[in-house]
Amino acid sequence: MSTARTSNTYSAVGGIQHEEPLLFEHAHEAAEAISLPGVQGDISAELHAFSRQKPANIPGLSEPETVRHFVRMSQWNHGIETGFYPLGSCTMKYNPRVNEQVVRLSGLANIHPDQPIDSVQGVLALLYELQEWLCEIAGFSDVTLQPAAGAHGELAGLMMIRSCLDARGQQHRKKVLVPDSAHGTNPASAALCGMHCIELKSGADGRIDLDELKKHLDGDVAALMMTNPKTAGAFESDIKEICQLVHDAGGLVYGDGANLNALVGMARPGDMGIDCLHINVHKTFSTPHGGGGPGAGPVVVNDTLAPYLPVPRIVKEGENYRIETQEEQSCGTILGSIGQVGVLLRAHAYIAAFGRNHLHKIAQDAVLNANYVLHRLKDAYHVPFEGLCKHECLLTDEYQNKHGIKTLDVAKQLSDLGFHPMTVYFPLIVHGAMLIEPTETESKATLDSFCDAMLEIAAQCEAGDTQVLHDAPTKPIRRRLDETQAARKPVLVWSD
Amino acid sequence: MRFLPHTDTDRNAMLESMDMDVMSDLFTDIPSEFHLEQGSLDLPDALSEAGIVRKFTKASEQNRHAGNTRCFLGGGTYHHFVPAVVDYVISRGEFLTAYTPYQPEISQGTLQTLFEFQTMIARLTGMDVSNASMYEAATATAEAALMARRVTRKSKVVMAGSVNPRYRSVTQNYLSRLEGEYVEVATHGFSTDVDGIIASIDEDTACVIVQYPDFYGSVYDLAELRVACDAAKCLMVITFSDVTAFALIQSPGECGADIAVGSGQSLGIPMGFGGPHLGLLTCKQKYVRQMPGRVCGMTSDADGKRGFVLTLSTREQHIRREKATSNICSNQGLMCTAAATYMTLMGDEGLKTVATRSAAALHHLLSNLPKHVTAAQGARYNETVLSFVSEEKRSAFLVEARKRDIFAGIPLEQLDTNMAHNHLLVSTTEMIEEADIQDYLAALEVAA
Repeated sequence: MSTARTSNTYSAVGGIQHEEPLLFEHAHEAAEAISLPGVQGDISAELHAFSRQKPANIPGLSEPETVRHFVRMSQWNHGIETGFYPLGSCTMKYNPRVNEQVVRLSGLANIHPDQPIDSVQGVLALLYELQEWLCEIAGFSDVTLQPAAGAHGELAGLMMIRSCLDARGQQHRKKVLVPDSAHGTNPASAALCGMHCIELKSGADGRIDLDELKKHLDGDVAALMMTNPKTAGAFESDIKEICQLVHDAGGLVYGDGANLNALVGMARPGDMGIDCLHINVHKTFSTPHGGGGPGAGPVVVNDTLAPYLPVPRIVKEGENYRIETQEEQSCGTILGSIGQVGVLLRAHAYIAAFGRNHLHKIAQDAVLNANYVLHRLKDAYHVPFEGLCKHECLLTDEYQNKHGIKTLDVAKQLSDLGFHPMTVYFPLIVHGAMLIEPTETESKATLDSFCDAMLEIAAQCEAGDTQVLHDAPTKPIRRRLDETQAARKPVLVWSD
Repeated sequence: MRFLPHTDTDRNAMLESMDMDVMSDLFTDIPSEFHLEQGSLDLPDALSEAGIVRKFTKASEQNRHAGNTRCFLGGGTYHHFVPAVVDYVISRGEFLTAYTPYQPEISQGTLQTLFEFQTMIARLTGMDVSNASMYEAATATAEAALMARRVTRKSKVVMAGSVNPRYRSVTQNYLSRLEGEYVEVATHGFSTDVDGIIASIDEDTACVIVQYPDFYGSVYDLAELRVACDAAKCLMVITFSDVTAFALIQSPGECGADIAVGSGQSLGIPMGFGGPHLGLLTCKQKYVRQMPGRVCGMTSDADGKRGFVLTLSTREQHIRREKATSNICSNQGLMCTAAATYMTLMGDEGLKTVATRSAAALHHLLSNLPKHVTAAQGARYNETVLSFVSEEKRSAFLVEARKRDIFAGIPLEQLDTNMAHNHLLVSTTEMIEEADIQDYLAALEVAA
C-alpha cells in the first residue's frame, strides 16, 4: 500500500499547513530508543524459553520527530479550543484548563487503585463529595461513579432496574419502551441487559404521545427510557404524568441525562418522578471529549433503586472513607475499577468553579444561546417543531432540498466557513435533521457569525448558487472522503 | 463567572430580540412545580481558580503515590514510565477538545492517529486488526465473550480461574442476563490449569478465555489449548493486563489467539487510581465485522488523496440500534493518542527494554528471596505471588515495607475473596531500581 503515499509529502500545502506521512513512512532506521530507568540484569531462564519470535516492527522515531508528527496531526483537527463546535446532543463546551492542571498532580495521577486505603483518603474524599453533589444537582438519593461512559451508565441503570424487578418477583418484565427520537445506545443497552425494545412513535410535537405510551403499558413493561429535554430540543412537559403512568403499570423510568445541560441548577430530574439517570460528565460537566473519550457516566438513583447499585462503592465512616466491594442486593460489578477517576475529578473541579451561586447560569446561558440561534435561523431553515427549545435546536433541510441541497452539503460548507458542523441526520424522527447545540460558553459574537454563515448558505441555495455547496469542503486538509470504499474493503492497519 | 462569555448587556439584547424580558421566559415549558429557586441547591459557593488548585493540592497531598514511594503493585494496573512528550501531545487542545471524528475532513488528525494506533497495537499483539479502543480490560474481556458468541453462534463461555478476578466478575455479570452458559475452571496453585480448561470444552463452547501472562504472572504454553479449540470449533480468547509483555514474550498472535483483549494502560497512561485506562480489542481479520466499538479505516478523498474515516459503522448502535454488536459509544479516544505517542517514542527497542527490565527486576528480587517466603513456581513475566507462613508474618512485612515507603504488593484476598490471607501479588516494572529491591529484601529480612 506504500504507493498510496500522498504527493507533496513534507511540503507545505497552504501557508503553514503541512502534509504528514504515516509514522511508518518516516523512512529511516529506528532512532536510538529513549533512555529508560530500571534493573539492567537478566531475565529468568524459564521466561527466556517463551521469547517472542518475530519483532513487532514498531518504528520508533526520535523525540523531535515524534513531537512534530503528532503536533502536525493535531493541526489537522478541529477542537473546541479552535472554534465553534455546535454538535447537538454532545454539549461541546469549553474545557477549563485548570481542571487539566489539577488532575495531573502526582498525588492524584500516580496512585495505584489497590494501595492501602489509608494512603488514598484524599482522592476518596474528592470522589465522595462529587457523589453528594451529583445527587443534589439531579435530585436523587444515591449514585454510582463507576460507569465509564453514558452508554455504560445506561447498562448499569438497566441492570439495577432488572435486579429491582427480579426482587419483586417480576422476572417476566422484559419490555423497554424507547421513543423513536432516542439515542441509539438506548436500545443497544437494553439488548445487552437481556431486554427488548418497543419503539414509541413521537407525537406531532416531537414529544411522547401519551396515548401511544398507554397502548404499550402492560404487565410486561420493565422500563421507559427517556431523554428530557428530548433530542428534538423540546422539554417533555408531561413528564410527571408520564412517570406516573409507567409506575402505575409497574415499570420504572430510566432517564438518559445526555441533555442535562438544559436543566442544571434550574430543575431536577429526580423531582419529576424519574427513578435513575445517567449523567454524561463529558457533556454537562465539561470533561474533554478527547476525540471520542474517555467519558464517565455516573448513575444517580432514587430510594427504589439504591439497594441495587453496582459495587465497588465509596463509603464514609466517621471521617474516613473506604471501598465496599460486597452488597447483598447489588446488580454486580460493571468495570474493573472504581471508575474513570481522572474524568470524575475534572467534573468535581468544574462544579466547584460554579458552585451554589452560579450553577444555574450554565443552563440559562445554554438555553438562551440555543433559542437565539433558533430565532435567527427559523425563517431560512425549516423548524419541524414550533415553540421554545432547551439547550439545542432542531432544523431540517426541507427548504434547501428544493434546490438540490441536503443537510450534508450544509454541514460540509460550514467546515469551509470555519465552523464545526452541527449534528446531522439525528434525531431520526425528521428528514434531514440538523441539531444545533451552541452551549453556554460561546459569545454572542460567535453565535452571530455562525448564524450569518448559515444564512449565507441558505441565501446561496435560494440564488441557485449551489455548486460551491456540492463541492464543499475545499479548505480542510482533505475533501469529502469515500466512506463506501472504506467499508467495502476495510483497510484497518498499515502494511509496509 | 469566568467560563461564561456573555455580559448582562448581551443577555438582555438576546432576550429582547426574541421579545422576552427575563431568563425565566426561556423555561416556561418546564412545569412551575419543578422550578428551583436560584442558588437553593445544597452546594458550596463557587471557588476561584486559585481555590480549586488549593483544594486539589491539599487532597493530593493526603495521598501517597508512586512519585514518593516505590510501587510493587500490579494486578491490572502498572507503574511504568510516562515520557513528558506523551502528556504534551494529549494536552494539545486539538486532540483534547475534539469530539468523535464523525466529520472526517476536519478530524484527520484524530483519524490518522487512530489508524497508527490500530496498526501498532495489531503489531505488538501479533494480531491482524485492532479496534479503536474499549473502556478498559474487564469490559473488553466481557465484550470478547459476546463477540465469540456472535462469531460461533454458540453460547457456552469457558473462563480460566487464573484470569484477573475483576475481569471474571465483570464478564460473568455482563453474561448473566443473557442466554447461555458461563463456566469458570478452578485454578490449583498460582498458574493456569490448561488441562482442566480443555476438559471443560464441549461442542456448545463458543470460546475459552485465558489470561496470558495470567493473573499470577505465569507465562505458559498455549499450543495444546489451541489444538483443543480447533477440534471443538471454538475461539481462543486471550486477555492480558500488561501489554508491554509482548515486546519480550510470544504475542497472543504467535500463540494462535482468535481474539486478544486487555489493558493498554502500560503504554503511557498513568495509574490514576483506576482510570481512565485503555481497553484493547484485537482479532483475526475474518472476524472484523463482529467486533464491538469504533474502528478507523483508510480511504481516499474527492481529490484521490489518502485519508481516514470511521468505518464498518453498520455494526454500531447509532445505525443498528438494538441489533448492534455492542452499546459502546464513547470510548477511550484520547488514551489511544497517548498510547500511539508512547509507542512511537519507544519503538521496538524501547518497548523491549521496558519489558526486559520489568522482568529482570522480578527475577532479581526472586533470586534473592529469604527462605521464609516462597514464590510461585514457573516462568513469570513481571508479576508473581509471594507466600508467607502466616497472615501475621505478611502483616509484619507490609509494615516494615511501608516504613521504607514501599507498597510491597496486593494482599491477594483483596482481589479474590476465596484466597487465604498469607499471599501477596507482587509486580515490578522498569520504574523499580536495584536499590528499591535491596530495600524490599531488607524489609523481608527484618520481618522474618
